[in-house]
Amino acid sequence: MNCEQLAPLYEEYALGVLEREERAELEAHLARACPTCTPGVARARYVVAQLAHASPAAQPPAALRGKIMDAVKPSADAARTVVPIEKPKPSEPRAMFPAWAWAAAAALALITGYTIRQMNNQNDQLAQLRKQMKLATMQNQALQNQLDLNRMVASVMLSPDSLPLKLMPKDKNMPMVHAYLHPHMGVAITADQMPSLPSARTLQLWFVPKTGKPLSVAIFHPDASGQIALVAPVNMPMNEIAALAVTEEPAGGSPQPTTPIAWMAQVN
Amino acid sequence: MERILQRDSGALEALYDRYGRPVYSLVLRIAQHPSSAEEIVQDVFLQLWRSADRFQISRGPLEPWLFTMARNRALDFLRLKREKQRRREDSDSDILPSAVVRPDPEGDIDQSRRAEKVRALMTSLPEAQRRAIELAFFEGMSHSEIAAATGEALGTVKSWIRGGLLRLRESLGEASS
Repeated sequence: MNCEQLAPLYEEYALGVLEREERAELEAHLARACPTCTPGVARARYVVAQLAHASPAAQPPAALRGKIMDAVKPSADAARTVVPIEKPKPSEPRAMFPAWAWAAAAALALITGYTIRQMNNQNDQLAQLRKQMKLATMQNQALQNQLDLNRMVASVMLSPDSLPLKLMPKDKNMPMVHAYLHPHMGVAITADQMPSLPSARTLQLWFVPKTGKPLSVAIFHPDASGQIALVAPVNMPMNEIAALAVTEEPAGGSPQPTTPIAWMAQVN
Repeated sequence: MERILQRDSGALEALYDRYGRPVYSLVLRIAQHPSSAEEIVQDVFLQLWRSADRFQISRGPLEPWLFTMARNRALDFLRLKREKQRRREDSDSDILPSAVVRPDPEGDIDQSRRAEKVRALMTSLPEAQRRAIELAFFEGMSHSEIAAATGEALGTVKSWIRGGLLRLRESLGEASS
């Protein structure tokens, strides 16, 4: 189904009533970040969510607010910046100050100094913890993004409608690159044990049409472990693709290949 | 949401004051059980607190995100109850009379306007069409489940729901674009 046919289904999808087949059709568009269906479904989610207002208005129990706030209090407290302790202003020295008072004052000063140092240490520790939490959040997000990508790659790979292709290397020492061509979900590329590339160079995937010039599909780099996993949209009719090819190009890619083909697969 | 990301509990309080009532109303309508609804709403706001960064990434308006999360949680609860076949008939006393109130007249004007539009639209629909949409939204039923529950033809149910949702889309068109 094309986007025009899917458009009337956006709200039903957001409502969760679509039957499996129609849902799968629409999800295929969403999986490849279809520029029409993705914002269409986002708007539909907004519209459908408004049905919440059709509920009879009810008052939540008064204690609920307190329960929620109590539950978040520890993490809110931990994140709260410790207020710097104001040093007390020195008072005017008295003319007659007994020795024991001087000793007590000295002891108090020592304790105060120790306490301030401890508080400063705690501030440092809190700042460190906040840094670690931020880092952990970023790492978590990166893992989530990787997981999402792997899911998309797996969806294309496992789809019965995907055409599996092996891109053979021109250099026998290079590993093979696998491609899975799906008419709606896009083309998934995977490879292992790829050599690292200089930062000024990139790999570029091309669709070679039956007639005309190659069409750039994606630029990519192997990761630190030499793996490649990506999904790119199929930007031309599948029956017009004669071959898939990969070349090495300057960083940022090229409008047309500037180096010999490094990997290639014919599309039958 | 920026303030929630900075672990400012005051921001969560403000969000609860704004959305607590409609979220609770929605969850209570689905779960049909006050103490379960209370737990689900608590869970929703705590999830908002924990996942504020994920919301930031989605960059959409907060209200539908919150309603969608609340609806999904409440429907999960409902499905679990059905699966375990231990749904019991709530006694009249289970829903306290004081729990049902009129909408807050001092609430957000835009929110109130949209709520009025939705209620007006639902009221204007024929009874059977409204019932089909309610079964889908509040009970989480699919087209075929609604057809089976109401004894109507599948095609009729589909056209009712599609027609109702398209009218809702038109009615809220300005707000959603």
